[in-house]
Order: sequence, then structure tokens, then C-alpha cells
Amino acid sequence: MSTPKLALVDLTKRYQPGLAPAVDHLNMEVEEGHLVALLGPSGCGKTTTLRMVAGLMDPTAGRIVVDGEDITSIPVHRRGMGMVFQSYALFPHMNVAANVAFGLRMRRLPKSERLERVRRALDMVQLGYLAERETKALSGGQQQRIALARALVVEPTLLLLDEPLSNLDAKLRESMRGEIRAIQQRTGATTLFVTHDQDEALDMADRIAVMNGGLIEQFGEPSEVYERPRTRFVAEFIGRANLLDATVVADRGPSGADERRYDVQVPGFGAVGAVGAPGLTGATRTMLVRPHRVQVHCDPGASGSPGTVESVSYTGDSVGYRVRVGDRAQLAEAPTDGRIAAPGDVVRLDWDPASAYLLPEEEER
Amino acid sequence: MSATTSIAVPRLPGADDLPPGHGVHEHRSRRRDRRTFWALAAPGLLGLAVTYLLPLLYMVRMAFNRGKPDGFIEQTFTLDTLIKPLTDSYYWKVTLDTFLMGLVVAAICVVISYPLALFLTRSTSRYKSLLIALAIAPLLTSAVVRTYGWMVILGGAGLVNSTLMHLGLVTVPLRLTNNMTGVVIGLVEIFMPYAILVMMSGFGRLDPRLEEAAASLGARPRAVFARITLPLTLPALLSAFLLIFVLSISSFITTNLLGGGAVHVLATEIYDQATGLLNWPFAAALSVILLVLFGVVIAIYQTVTRRLRLDA
Amino acid sequence: MTTPPNRFRRRVPVSAVALRVLVALLYVFLLAPLVIIVVISFSSNQYLSFPPTGFSLRWYAELPAETTFIQGMQTTLITASITTLIVLLIGVPASIALARYEVPGRGAISAFFLSPLLVPSVVLALGLVLTLGPLGLTNTYQGIVIGHVSITLPYVIRTTLMSLTTADTSSEEAARVLGANGWAVFRLITLPIIRPGVIAGGIVAFVVSFDEAVISLFVAESGKPTLPVQILRYVADSADAAVAALSVVLILFSVVIVVLVERVMGLRRTLI
Repeated sequence: MSTPKLALVDLTKRYQPGLAPAVDHLNMEVEEGHLVALLGPSGCGKTTTLRMVAGLMDPTAGRIVVDGEDITSIPVHRRGMGMVFQSYALFPHMNVAANVAFGLRMRRLPKSERLERVRRALDMVQLGYLAERETKALSGGQQQRIALARALVVEPTLLLLDEPLSNLDAKLRESMRGEIRAIQQRTGATTLFVTHDQDEALDMADRIAVMNGGLIEQFGEPSEVYERPRTRFVAEFIGRANLLDATVVADRGPSGADERRYDVQVPGFGAVGAVGAPGLTGATRTMLVRPHRVQVHCDPGASGSPGTVESVSYTGDSVGYRVRVGDRAQLAEAPTDGRIAAPGDVVRLDWDPASAYLLPEEEER
Repeated sequence: MSATTSIAVPRLPGADDLPPGHGVHEHRSRRRDRRTFWALAAPGLLGLAVTYLLPLLYMVRMAFNRGKPDGFIEQTFTLDTLIKPLTDSYYWKVTLDTFLMGLVVAAICVVISYPLALFLTRSTSRYKSLLIALAIAPLLTSAVVRTYGWMVILGGAGLVNSTLMHLGLVTVPLRLTNNMTGVVIGLVEIFMPYAILVMMSGFGRLDPRLEEAAASLGARPRAVFARITLPLTLPALLSAFLLIFVLSISSFITTNLLGGGAVHVLATEIYDQATGLLNWPFAAALSVILLVLFGVVIAIYQTVTRRLRLDA
Repeated sequence: MTTPPNRFRRRVPVSAVALRVLVALLYVFLLAPLVIIVVISFSSNQYLSFPPTGFSLRWYAELPAETTFIQGMQTTLITASITTLIVLLIGVPASIALARYEVPGRGAISAFFLSPLLVPSVVLALGLVLTLGPLGLTNTYQGIVIGHVSITLPYVIRTTLMSLTTADTSSEEAARVLGANGWAVFRLITLPIIRPGVIAGGIVAFVVSFDEAVISLFVAESGKPTLPVQILRYVADSADAAVAALSVVLILFSVVIVVLVERVMGLRRTLI
């Protein structure tokens, strides 16, 4: 494998001695051209990590390596990064073109080249017609794209995005996702993207680093993180999850490349099927079933485990149920075309064994 | 994790459990930050040390010297000069008058500025900013000029007395200057803009919706005022009171001009001792007393506000 | 005034009317001394009488001939300008230090910078005259400037600090990421953003120095009386109309300042 574009080696940030570190011996490698989302709840260390990569904050320990070169001690203004801030941080006293040209000015590029590159950068975000405008008059989406152009025009070593979409309204946020992703792929800029929004991360990223308490809980492709979470935290943070205690009874042979099908015993559900890593027979594991994989049968004669509907929430696209099975409530999400159960109804729940996943054993932290 | 975490720059670690050799950049940049801070602050600190701290310290030192009748200063270290005003009933009266003047001016000033500040805070008029500017602009005119204006209004042949005599309401001009009455009137007006400013900035947390909520819950206007408006604005009232009190007891120009030599407070006594009698040590001793009075009042204020905050 | 325009006539409650009358009276009280000075500056008789028996511009005509006043104006302008320059030069860096760098004891340092506003000016004036006298600096421009530095510095620091703390620090960080070093960030980003605060602070510092009378009185009464000191001395003898025209000049000056500050930063934000 070639040298990664960015490598974080045991990166640690401790704000105060004695306090738990904000980032704790974090290791990560980012491939050239990838968009990596740092995803986690607030306080998980994702912004701190990004700011250390940018050089806006010094790590307490560890190294930041770009293209095989240790840049930990290089000051922020010589790192050649491009960054988009949550507040966009457009310079209020400069017009759009001057904002975009700032990085080029700092690099002492001749004026003609500067103008040309600013023009191209603004065209890229389709805002060329705003070049002479003051930034204050622009909408949030426009400011966002100007900030992106300003970061990209310098052809940065890395593009760093700090919650760039969180100040936009829901509709705009979704269209900007696609736009940022398209621009990122066109420019090939290796990108670190901080977000607390799992949809954003799943939608945009090549790789997701799920962070919690200063550590990376899992680093992988979006589908991998969603379908095969390594920890309960990841399973619950990304998407909604039913987590059940399962005792593995028997191995039923291979399922896919390196997983096996098992018979498991789950309180309230009895004997059901699930998949997981090899060698789990006899073990107790947490089993994940995504609510939309749970089938809800209103017909009393249907197969599955019986449960009582506690609440129903109709969203138009689907119906969400809380169903009490045994002493625990489970979530299920059903299409709206069938019969919709009412609270108090007894329904039967089951799922395809292939969509029930046994989580690996969690290491003590 | 929000971007604000960046502002919380950490303290230097003491006994940290990190392996040696780590955090070198962090330490270096923290040292650099500290150096930059002092480099930037040094000129200002030096300027204040020379033009402010040094004179004040020298003044305090002077209070331990002895002034001789011929205007010379005996360089010594004695408590005599400081004790003298404390054993002289005249200076006890001067101190008491200073204190009372401060209380009266602050009380009147706060009471009459309060409705104006409330009005300006709530105003939705398009002339609001003009009205605010008009209320606080006098702050930027010289106190000498405004005192002069009051002398013209209150003097024996001034506006008030001329009007009263024209109307036949009085036959002998009222004595409104060269006494405490004039001083209080002048000081109240001169400090009103300060009171309005302090109150308005303190009224920021007076959300009109709170008053509306109280009214919607059945409170009558009087109850709304007593239970919502007043308690919420009380801290601002108190800090305005303190400020005006402090400004009043140190005011010199207005007390000197409108007092016309008949009003004796610490500030005027300091001036008379210093420039009239050239008794610098004694003037310094009176200044120390004024400073102590200041300290006491500010300490009381802090205790009161702290207690209010605890109750809140 | 307080109610939004309404097509329907609304019954205005008595209490609202009473409040407006009260407010109007308070404005009269607040502005009375300034208005009265303007009125009598146009009166033809030197000794006060109300209503004035006639109006003239004689006091204004005589102003340029009064060499002491002209000298006083000169002293005031020179010292106020130099004071402003000095406090801007030392105050702006200090504000940046206070706003952007965290060191132990920062709160105490900040309190120290603002504390001169709380010390009675008579006390400070006494200390100054005691210190400056032996150095031969009383009755000099330098003496007045030294006396005014500490009382004007807090205004510059306060307004600058306010623009620094309300400004979004991420634009400074953005500039650093884009390759600007410390000096470039200051020159190209920080300074332009805080310019209104610096200007407003400078204007207020100038006007405070310009209007200051107590310290100037102690430090330079006999040798270099400033304009406020001259008015003070004149008025202490007799409050007649002669000095009114000069006072109006000062009032007009203040009006210009008020308008300037209001334009630059907003009067209210600047003064508190």
C-alpha cells in the first residue's frame, strides 16, 4: 500500500493535566482523494482533531504526518491547508473576490494568475456573478460556497471542513451535501469532514471515523459502519438500533466471506437466527437488528414472536412502532401500504436471520 | 464539540502523566503566547504605572510626611498627618457631608433616571436612537460648561429666580447656588446620563415577554411592576446607584462652582489644602480618607450584590 | 411614540400619557443647562437677566480677539491630540493581549487597566502634581498629557476590547490557515475588523481629555491653562454671559463628536 495522504500517530490532546484527554492516542490513515468524516457526539474530540491537523491547536503528544512528512511542528500558516469553518469565517471587510484571493495573496502569486484562479474557483461553486459583492449580503448557502472556494483555490494539501452544513436549513443542507461531494471528487482534494450528523457522514464520506470520548470507535466505509458496527456505541449512534442479548447456541455454516450463521437464543424471542464472526458458539453477544429490517405482522396466525404495540408514529414514508416483547420494548419500522396496527394490538415480529448481527466482544476501555 | 473550545487555552501542566519529550510544541507555543501577551501589554502597563500608579503611591507616601506652617514639607514617616483629620470634628463633618451628599445625589439621580431608562429601553419609536443619543450626549460635554449652565439657571439673577419674581411668587431671590441645594441639583443632572447608560445596559435581561406573561397570568400593572420589572432591574439600579455615589463623592468642579466656597466636602478640602494652603501632606491625608471611603463603599456594594445573587 | 402606527385610534391610557409627560420633563431637566448657555450666548447684555433684553452676536465676534482663550484652545487641542495618539498606541496592543491571549492574572490586569475611571480625579490630580512638580513638568504640555493618559486609556481599551470580543475569531483563524503570519493577520484581518472600536475609543479619549478640568487645573493652572480650566476660573468669579459663546463652541464641538461616534460605532456601545 502506498503512503497515506494523512496519518495521525498517537495523536493526543489534553486541555488540562488531570482531566481526561479530549483526544486520546488517536491513530488514523487517510488515503489520497478520500473524503473522511469524523463523526461523533459533541465533546468526542472530532473538532479538536481537525484543529490539530489544521495547526490551530498544538497536540499534547503524537504526530501528524502528511505525505510521509511530519508536520506536527510546522506552524499553521505554512501548512497549506484549506479550511471551511462552521461560521464560514468570511472576512467581513472584503468582498467575495478578495476573500477568495486571500490565500493566493499570502502566497504572493502574481495578480493576473490570482484573478484567473479566483474566477475559476468562483465558477466552480457557480457564484462567479457575485465576485464584487460584499459578503454580508449573501445567503448562508452562498457564504458556504464562497468559503469552500476560498479554501480550494489554494489547492490545499488537505481540505478541512468543520461542520460546514450545520448553519444551513434542512433543505439546503441536503442539496449542499451533493454539491460539496461533487466538488470534492472533481478536485480530488483529500478531505477531513467534521460532523455530528450521521446522515451527512453516510451520504458523503468514503470512510467514516466514529469518535467517542477522544477515541475512534470504528473506522470504515459507510456501509460497513452501518451494517457491521464494532461496538454498541457505533450501532446506536449511527441509525436506530434494537440491541438484544443473545446466547449463541449453534453454528449453522458460513455466511458470506468470513462470517457464519448461528442459531441464537434471545429472551422474549426464543430461538432465532443471526450472523456474526466465526467461533461464537456458546458465547453471549449483543445482537443488532435495525428497525426497518424488523417485519411486523398484524395477522395473529403469522410466524414470529408476539408483542404488544405500545405506540405508533406515522411519518408518511413509514410507520414506526414500539412493541413490547417480554419485558423490553423493541423498535420496528414498516411500510405504510399494509395494515397499520394500533396501540394495544398484539403483533408478531420477525426478521431475516441475515439482518441480525452479533457484535464483537467489546474491549474494556 | 464546538469551536469555542479553542478559546480555552490550557494552563501549563504540572505533574503530567505523559511520557517525557511529548507536548514539546504545545509548551513552546504556550510560552510564545505568554511572551506575546506581555510584549503587547507592556507599553500600556508601563504607561499606567508611570502616569497613575506611581503618582497614587507617591501621594499615599506624602500622607506620612508632615506639613509645616510655612508651606514646607518635613520628610518623615509619621501617622500624625493622617490622624489629625480623624481627631478634628470639622473633618468628621466634612466626611459625613461628603457621604450624605453622595447618598442624596445617587438616590435622586437613580429615581429620576429610572423611568427614563425604562422608557428608552422599551421604546419602539423610530426616533429611539436619537432619544438615546440625546439622553447620553451631555456626557460628552464638559462638566465645567454644564455647571456654568446651572449657575445661569439657578443664580440670584438666573432663570428660575427671574421667572419666580416676574410671576410675583417670591420677592427675594431664592438661594439656589452657593449651597448644597445647588450642588445636588447640578450633580444630579450631570450624572443622569451615566445612570441612564448603566441602567439601560443592565436592562438587557428585561424581556418584555416576561411582563406580558405575568399580565397574561392575571397580574395587574402594579403587580407586574413590583413582581417582575423591579426585581429584574434591581441589580442595574444598584450598580447605577453605586456609580453615581462614587462619582458624586469625588466630584470637584460642580461642588466647587455651585458650592461657591460654602460647601465643604473632601474633594474641595483637598483642593484648598493643596493649592490654597500648600499643605500637601494634609491634602494627601484627606485623599487617603477619600480612597478608604471608596473602598468601604465598593466592598459594601459587592457584599450586597453577592447576597442578592444568592437569593435569586 | 411608543406605540406602532395604527389605523384605528386607540385609547391611550392615562398612565402612558403621564409617563410621556414625565419623560419630556426629564429631557428638559437634562438639557436645560446646555440650552440656556446657547440662549444667553446670543444675549446682548453682559449681566444676566431673564428674558434677555436683546440679542446680538457680540460675544462670538469678540472670541477671536481673546488671546488667552485662543491660547487655551491651542493648549487643549495639542494636549488632547498627543494624549489620544499615546493611548491609542499603548491601548490597542494591550486590548489585543487581553482579548486574544490567556495568561494567569489576566483578569487582574484587565481590572488595573480600567481602574483609573474609579479613582477620584482630585486624588489622582494631587498625586500627579506631587510627582510632576519636582520633575519640573507642571505647567507644561508634557505634564498635562501625562495627567490625561491614565483617565483616557480605559475608554480606548474598553471599546477596542469590545470590538475584539464581539468579532468572530474564526476569521483570524481562517486567515492563518490560508497562510497569513501573525503580523499579516493583524494588519489584514484584525485591525480592519476592530477599526470602528479603535476610532470610537480614540474619539472618546480625545473628548475626555479635551473636556478634562480637574487634573489640568492642578497640574497646569498657572502656566498652561486648558480651555476648560480657563472657563472654570472665569465662571468661578462671575457667571455672566461673556463666557457663554466660548462654551457654545465647546458644546458644538461635543455635538460633532457625538455624531461622529454614533456613526462609527453607536454612542451607547462606546460609552459603557
